[in-house]
Amino acid sequence: RMEASCLELALEGERLCKAGDCRAGVSFFEAAVQVGTEDLKTLSAIYSQLGNAYFYLHEYAKALEYHHHDLTLARTIGDLLGEAKASGNLGNTLKVLGNFEEAIVCCQRHLDISRELNDKVGEARALYNLGNVYHSKGKNVASAGTHDPGELPDDVKNALQKAANYYEENLTIVTKLGDRAAQGRAFGNLGNTHYLLGNFRSAVLAHEQRLLIAKEFGDRSAERRAYSNLGNAYIFLGEFETASEYYKRTLQLARQLKDRAVEAQACYSLGNTYTLLQDYEKAIDYHLKHLMIAQELNDKIGEGRACWSLGNAYTALGNHDQAMHFAERHLEISREVGDRSGELTARLNLSDLQMVLGLSYSTNNSMMSESQVVDNSLNGTRPRVGRRHSMENMELMKLTPEKVQNWN
Amino acid sequence: SQPLSGRQAAELQSKVVPSKQILHSDNMEMEPETMETKSVTDYFSKLHMGSLVYSCTSKRKNK
Repeated sequence: RMEASCLELALEGERLCKAGDCRAGVSFFEAAVQVGTEDLKTLSAIYSQLGNAYFYLHEYAKALEYHHHDLTLARTIGDLLGEAKASGNLGNTLKVLGNFEEAIVCCQRHLDISRELNDKVGEARALYNLGNVYHSKGKNVASAGTHDPGELPDDVKNALQKAANYYEENLTIVTKLGDRAAQGRAFGNLGNTHYLLGNFRSAVLAHEQRLLIAKEFGDRSAERRAYSNLGNAYIFLGEFETASEYYKRTLQLARQLKDRAVEAQACYSLGNTYTLLQDYEKAIDYHLKHLMIAQELNDKIGEGRACWSLGNAYTALGNHDQAMHFAERHLEISREVGDRSGELTARLNLSDLQMVLGLSYSTNNSMMSESQVVDNSLNGTRPRVGRRHSMENMELMKLTPEKVQNWN
Repeated sequence: SQPLSGRQAAELQSKVVPSKQILHSDNMEMEPETMETKSVTDYFSKLHMGSLVYSCTSKRKNK
């Protein structure tokens, strides 16, 4: 009787997760675990699915816990295929948690067992996972410093090169297997790896393949990702017109898919691209669109970035009043979110603008201090900082080969 | 109307972003992870339902 009810609960959990309701699925799986079962393979399947559900819910510590239980269990009962799967899932989770060395060990185990079992599908998937771990590892180390793509320390370059090799190996297998969806994923991430390595032509070739496959499947999210990545690569090839065309397609799809955060990102990229094309009116147009969505989503970091960009564009047009307005807003937001370097940049921008405008008031007396007081008194608490994942890792970048001194 | 010295304005102009630096957001779009899946039904049908499924299908074949 107890056996049946554990199974029933787990089956309902599976049904709910498949229907996309992981939260409810988790409750049923946890209830199933509470009831318990003596069938260890069933228990292993429950642990595995709990781990995956928590992974999709971004609760990685819990995901880690359950994939670890699954691994232990699979080893105990000598289920080699089950061990391979648990190792792969554990590897993916460790990667997200930033534990790259352990992630590599786990993904390698997934690969080794798959080869031992002559499981080509498993082997390919393990290679893709390994590529992802090395990619994340490389990106993680790279983001600790401030490097342009292509200007990398040796350890970063090694990790990214390994990622590229694993993606290539994966591609060989999934091409043989005729698995187009898997090819699409590998091309996308291979393209991004080439981008970080500074191989922008190779990045374009890979993303073009990704685009083709996305269209084959009618996968509009993947299509949008490909456009965006193509835009990024063309920026670094110095082909700004082409980049703007791809970003426009990204924007179009983001609007169709009703994804406001992605729409904002596309507007921001377009604003930057038109800045590079020195078409400041268009740049302002897109940065204002970005600003509006950032405010709507309560994304303070995005809002600050929009203000910084708008300040620059208005300065370029000689509209110093508007430039001043946005520089002050940038300062205000930088303080609010505790962005010290943003604050410094904003102060320097303001002092430059004040000099041009012949104003001598100190920042203490300016309107932004007043407005901040008003904001705080209205609010009582500090405003919550909205973050959009895609915009978190902002950094100042130099885009031309010649090294120009920073003005911040 | 603003007391703007031409030289200062030019200086500021020259400091403006174009093609020198830009606030870049690292918005590289990655493909999704693939997780390995296990299912209770897989094991269930193999371990517990095997004979039942067999008997059902053979009954159907017999009809």
